Amino acid sequence: MNCDQSVQALREAAAGGRAPTGNLAAHLEECATCQASFQREQALFVAIDHSLRKRVNEDPRASFLAELRVQISKETLANPRSNAVWAVTGATLAVVLIGMFYPLASPRQPRLQGDLQAATVRAPQSTEGTQPLRTFGVDSGVRSGKYSGKHSPAKTTVGQEPEVLVPPDEQRAFSQFVARVAGRDAMAEAVVSPAANKTAARNTELPEVPSVDIAHLQLDGTKSDQWMDETGGTE
Amino acid sequence: MQEFTWPDRTAETELALDLDKAVLRREFEQRLDECGTLAFRVARGVLRNAADAEDVAQEALLRAYRRFALLRDPARFRAWLVRISFRLALDHARSARRREHRETVWATEVPKPTAEDSAASNEFGRRLQEAMESLPEKSRLVLLLAGMDGHSLEEVAEVLQLPLGTVKSRLHSARKQLAEKLR
Repeated sequence: MNCDQSVQALREAAAGGRAPTGNLAAHLEECATCQASFQREQALFVAIDHSLRKRVNEDPRASFLAELRVQISKETLANPRSNAVWAVTGATLAVVLIGMFYPLASPRQPRLQGDLQAATVRAPQSTEGTQPLRTFGVDSGVRSGKYSGKHSPAKTTVGQEPEVLVPPDEQRAFSQFVARVAGRDAMAEAVVSPAANKTAARNTELPEVPSVDIAHLQLDGTKSDQWMDETGGTE
Repeated sequence: MQEFTWPDRTAETELALDLDKAVLRREFEQRLDECGTLAFRVARGVLRNAADAEDVAQEALLRAYRRFALLRDPARFRAWLVRISFRLALDHARSARRREHRETVWATEVPKPTAEDSAASNEFGRRLQEAMESLPEKSRLVLLLAGMDGHSLEEVAEVLQLPLGTVKSRLHSARKQLAEKLR
């Protein structure tokens, strides 16, 4: 056995705490280097064992057990019978709670509810189905000289309008349409913007827009004719 | 937590339950002297300082106490407690390492310790600890139990419910791996 071959064998012997035998023992007798190496290996294992033993045989503080007894006296022992009951009760409660809170926690559900509420939009009723523009104009409270005499306010009041269910996926487009046609840009922004959607979802009625007094803007007869001529407008 | 009580439970049943609990409590306390130290030593073998090991041992014993009535085979108590302590100690060591890592990442560069510092901080013990932490958990537990006074390899095999040959093989392999890292 040469030195290279003996290295592994002497490590094995040292790890097992055995005295070298056979070829290894013969080689160690002849080779001082390997003998020194074997002694180092033995010393290493002794140091490992010593450190380990020192650590795992350490005792806790003298008060450790006393403190532990105090802690234990405060503890409650588990009762196998009650444990089973608690397990069943806990599982039932968990199912009930999940059933109660899942619809609220689900991200889809509030949107669905909001859609259903927001979908109930008051559709402006037109006295003539083919002239929605005029109806919205009157709804907004803006009385133009042109139309003021042609429509009765009683027929176009909001309170008499039926509620129309709008499908959730068309609600946004419908709101935009209503708002744009009526010229209520602010309202349109409020309805269309995501933040305002929540408010719109809770309040089924559209916000009221105060009437604008345009009496002072009305043109008298001559001025009106003049203006119509200038603009080339025709009734 | 208040314990659940059946509405129709009689006073006699309650009394019998209380008696059962008293017996269990006494039985546990009798084991405490021996097993309290065992739990501490297992934790100490894993953790770097005695204070942490005491905390872990206390937690392990309290857990064992709470579930003592559910232990089907009281003869297996020691093995059960060893496993609880070992698991808790490993968890504690892992969280300590994570904390240490976080602190090291943000720490400024620390000057290298002098030779005197190294000697004072027990360099070999530190390296041994690091080498132990790199061992597989199964080998590590065998190494710790085999190192404890009064634990023969047969007892280690019994506690871990392993064949004696497996315990010997794991122990040999663990020692060789340690030596490899410390060489």
